[in-house]
Amino acid sequence: MNTGQIISGAGHAGLICWALLGGFFQSAPAPFQVTEVTAISTEEYAALIAPQQAPDAVSNVATPEPPAPGDMAPDLSSTADDAPDVAQPDVADTPPLEEAPDVTEISPPVEAEVSDEPPVLEPPSEDVAVLVPEISPRPQPRPAPRVAPEPVAQPEPDVKIDDVDQPKAEPSDKPDEVVKEDKPETAREEATTKIVTEAEKVANAAPSKSVRPRTRPAAPKPEQTAKPADTKPTTDSSSVNNALAEALGAGESNTGKPGGPPLTHGEKDALRVAVQQCWNVGSLSSEALNTTVVVSVAMTENGKPKSETIRMLSSSGGTGNSAQQAFEAAKRAIIRCAKSGYGLPRDKYDHWRDIEMTFNPENMRIK
Amino acid sequence: MMKQFLTLLMALFIAGMPAFAQDGPLRIEITEGVIEPLPYAVPNFVADNAAGAQFGKQIADVIASDLTGTGLFREIPDTAFISQITSFASPVQFADWKAINAQALVTGAVSVDDTGKLVVRFRIYDVFAGQELGNGLQLVGTQDGWRRMAHKVADQVYSRITGEGGYFDSRVVFVAETGPKDKRAKRLAIMDYDGANVSYLTDSTSIVLAPRFSPAGDRVLYTSYETGFPKIYVLDVASVNRRSLNTAEGTMSFAPRFAPDGRTVVYSLTQGGNTDLYRMDTGSGVSTRLTNAPSIETAPSYSPDGRQIVFESDRSGTPQLYIMPADGGEARRISFGQGRYGTPVWSPRGDLVAFTKQSKGRFHIGVMRLDGSEERLLTASFLDEGPTWSPNGRVIMFTRETQGAQGRANLYSVDITGRNLKQISTETGASDPSWSPLQK
Repeated sequence: MNTGQIISGAGHAGLICWALLGGFFQSAPAPFQVTEVTAISTEEYAALIAPQQAPDAVSNVATPEPPAPGDMAPDLSSTADDAPDVAQPDVADTPPLEEAPDVTEISPPVEAEVSDEPPVLEPPSEDVAVLVPEISPRPQPRPAPRVAPEPVAQPEPDVKIDDVDQPKAEPSDKPDEVVKEDKPETAREEATTKIVTEAEKVANAAPSKSVRPRTRPAAPKPEQTAKPADTKPTTDSSSVNNALAEALGAGESNTGKPGGPPLTHGEKDALRVAVQQCWNVGSLSSEALNTTVVVSVAMTENGKPKSETIRMLSSSGGTGNSAQQAFEAAKRAIIRCAKSGYGLPRDKYDHWRDIEMTFNPENMRIK
Repeated sequence: MMKQFLTLLMALFIAGMPAFAQDGPLRIEITEGVIEPLPYAVPNFVADNAAGAQFGKQIADVIASDLTGTGLFREIPDTAFISQITSFASPVQFADWKAINAQALVTGAVSVDDTGKLVVRFRIYDVFAGQELGNGLQLVGTQDGWRRMAHKVADQVYSRITGEGGYFDSRVVFVAETGPKDKRAKRLAIMDYDGANVSYLTDSTSIVLAPRFSPAGDRVLYTSYETGFPKIYVLDVASVNRRSLNTAEGTMSFAPRFAPDGRTVVYSLTQGGNTDLYRMDTGSGVSTRLTNAPSIETAPSYSPDGRQIVFESDRSGTPQLYIMPADGGEARRISFGQGRYGTPVWSPRGDLVAFTKQSKGRFHIGVMRLDGSEERLLTASFLDEGPTWSPNGRVIMFTRETQGAQGRANLYSVDITGRNLKQISTETGASDPSWSPLQK
């Protein structure tokens, strides 16, 4: 089949379709359409359209009362309620409010005639660095009544609480060993680094308390008696600083020369750590915990503060009352932890004759 | 081993370095301290005459109980004393008290004068400073009121050492509960803050709920079911006379609380199935609607200045805490943690809101700032609810109920730091505490 035939066939087919669909064979449309109708009367027509008419507008319809002020507020009055006539309880003896006592100020007390100097305690026969095992950080500190910058494990029940950890000193049977004074074992009070509430305890899966392993029983041979200094495992930073301060300062204290080089960082840190161990802010008001005080103190050559020279230089962040409370807590800290002196190097006395301490409780507000 | 050696070497090097040149006095900054109970001693008060002898130990014991009960102080037992206080006028041997690490010392004397009045004198000493804290005081009162006088001494000690007001001379109104859980009898009771001197204000013929002290402590608002529906009553503590806040028939009114002015009462009222907050002037009886929402608004509590109200609402889908102006108006949500929050109470200091929180099947008492920050959960148990503040805003008392058919409701208190959680001893079960202001 050639191309001409295809074109011819398609053309004829299109022509036939146009003739059939294009209305070539239809007749012309009629000029009008005829429909059958029914004639009705005027009355019937009016009856048919009557329901569809809109009602006449009425302008005087009664509107509802607006809600009373207070939006359905109940009828409230303070009249006595006579409905519940309940008998008074037999035991309802009115709690008689005790008469408030009269308050009067009384005269100040008599000054004591005796010296208030505390008894001088003999230092241990052998200075031993404070040795505390390093404690790995825990996700949640366990509860303890004391909150301190460093956690302290619960001491043995029969160990005396003191400012330092010290093993029991016992006389040695070795003839060539220095005779030691028989001193009881001491340990620092148990402490945690943060207050743990009851709600927080639940989240802590760690055991809340553990007993420190007991030391080994003493070996039978006298030669094997453990030296206290040898039983110490490791030390913490404050203990290092204390020991360093001792080594750097106390060793040269016999020179008796005033002046000398300024205090080292370690010596200053040792003093700071010593004071902060006695700075108890647990009983301060929240306002006093927002108050920073600067306190000056004059020191004696043996490293003890002169109590009468402690005074507040300035305060910030609180009222006069809160500053006074903060100052008293700072004063107690300076005096309490200097029972044996602060161990400052005597040859540098000119550098620490007068000290200014800034007590900033910002880190202590929520522990 | 090598690492430890190097660390020690480095520490030695740094510690041995001299500090920079120093001008003037040595300056150090203390930023870390300790938080521990302050040790104190309260020897028995000296009897100035024979009639006062019976009170010397009793008063000292109550003072010690008050102070130690705060968790901020630790009593040194008299067995550790080196010196004894035999005369109130004698000078204090501070060295003896320093030796036992007593940081505060309270001495006192007690006598009965010719008129039968009890006379209590006391002084407070800062032992390590070697000086008296403030001036000595003398209290004169009835012999029956010896406990109140002891509480007042303890308040003075607390105040002079901590710098904030005390809370020992205060009372607590609560709901005393007896009987099994399914048939529990409840009546209003009042006691000293420490559980002593319990008296009952109503009988147990009908259920009573949520008593609330007025700012002066002379009246108590509470809700009673004696008419079949909850209705609010005002009870005069001294006479035990009462009257109702007359609300419309068919309504339920509950959760009342006084405004700081003592004349206005804010409360919840349910009408037509909707609960909103209203306030009423108790003098005129005129009430004003404060909220108008399809949700439940309840547990309102005024700020100390009376300008705002914190309340509980479930408008967001779960019960949460909101603050709005005291005259009503737009409320802002302050609680956004997980769980349901309720029964908010504004702190007397104005800086915190205490609340009950239900989360993960446990109930908590907590506190948060007014913007919802610094939320701290202080407790956790099967059911803790209904906190109330001590007059100085330092302690929160609340209800703790134990689980099971034999479970009993008890009162507990906790310091706002979360320490010193303890039960208040009561003869019967106890719930819904409300702490009074300090007594005058």
